[in-house]
Amino acid sequence: MSNNSEQKEEQQQDNQPNSSALVERIQQLGQSNIPQAPDSNIHVLSIIGQVEGHLQLPPQNKTTKYEHLLPQLIAIEQNPKIEGLIILLNTVGGDVEAGLALSEMIASISKPTVSIVLGGGHSIGVPIAVATKHSFIVPTATMTIHPIRLTGLVIGVPQTFEYLDKMQDRVIQFVVEHSNIKEEKFKDLMFAKGNLTRDIGTNVIGKDAVAYGLIDEVGGVKEAMNKLNEFIGPKVSPESGVVQ
Amino acid sequence: MILYTPMAHSDIFPVEMDSYSNLESVSYKGRTVYAERMPDGSYQIQQLLSSDPNDFLNAEFSPGRILS
Repeated sequence: MSNNSEQKEEQQQDNQPNSSALVERIQQLGQSNIPQAPDSNIHVLSIIGQVEGHLQLPPQNKTTKYEHLLPQLIAIEQNPKIEGLIILLNTVGGDVEAGLALSEMIASISKPTVSIVLGGGHSIGVPIAVATKHSFIVPTATMTIHPIRLTGLVIGVPQTFEYLDKMQDRVIQFVVEHSNIKEEKFKDLMFAKGNLTRDIGTNVIGKDAVAYGLIDEVGGVKEAMNKLNEFIGPKVSPESGVVQ
Repeated sequence: MILYTPMAHSDIFPVEMDSYSNLESVSYKGRTVYAERMPDGSYQIQQLLSSDPNDFLNAEFSPGRILS
């Protein structure tokens, strides 16, 4: 046994720099080795936590900042090597205009886009989820649909009310235009009573979201990747075109 | 401690503003990362902002790494 442990010690001393890097990596990530992969033609955008708008939220909030995502979306549109985009959503909602900006950007990208709602895609997560060409929801994920709210000081109540009403219409219009749900149905869900304890609205779970026509399909990573690859179409290898 | 109040959590426990200042978004090797400034002036990666899934496999951008 002692012989064995001595050998081990020698080995450890031999690759000292290596093992310390390994220890560092384990401390950082809780894992020892990261597999390397070839360049990916599919890029991923994760919409996590709160969608942050014009105000910076306190640091304990997990936020998605649109000023980071908008340039990435432009880069994805411009880069010829990127052929598809997956949006991963697990968000509690957030700023309406920031969310609508992201939704419009995603909807107007020329490349194939697919979204997966994981965990939750609440409030402004709904337009972001339906903005892609095809949307998926995992069976356990939920989406809360409820009227738009405002916190803070309000100056000019009737004007603010009208402004909020129009903003809500914009959200409804976007969702109706980019999904198969009927406007009446979406409004019914939005103003339903008795579903949420402290609010009016509806909590729509996985399959129900598909049944209402809000989301295209129930599925996870596998289904989303298949769909995206289907949109991208068969690979054209650069060699096949040139005959010498 | 049990709180029973309609007030928001942030109203009772206001956020300390100095926790904002340590976190900076810096550009490192062409990627934007959120990094925390350490007392010795170096940066420690907190979050990587990239749409390329391979960047997340790259150990150079893994959270916790100290940028020199």
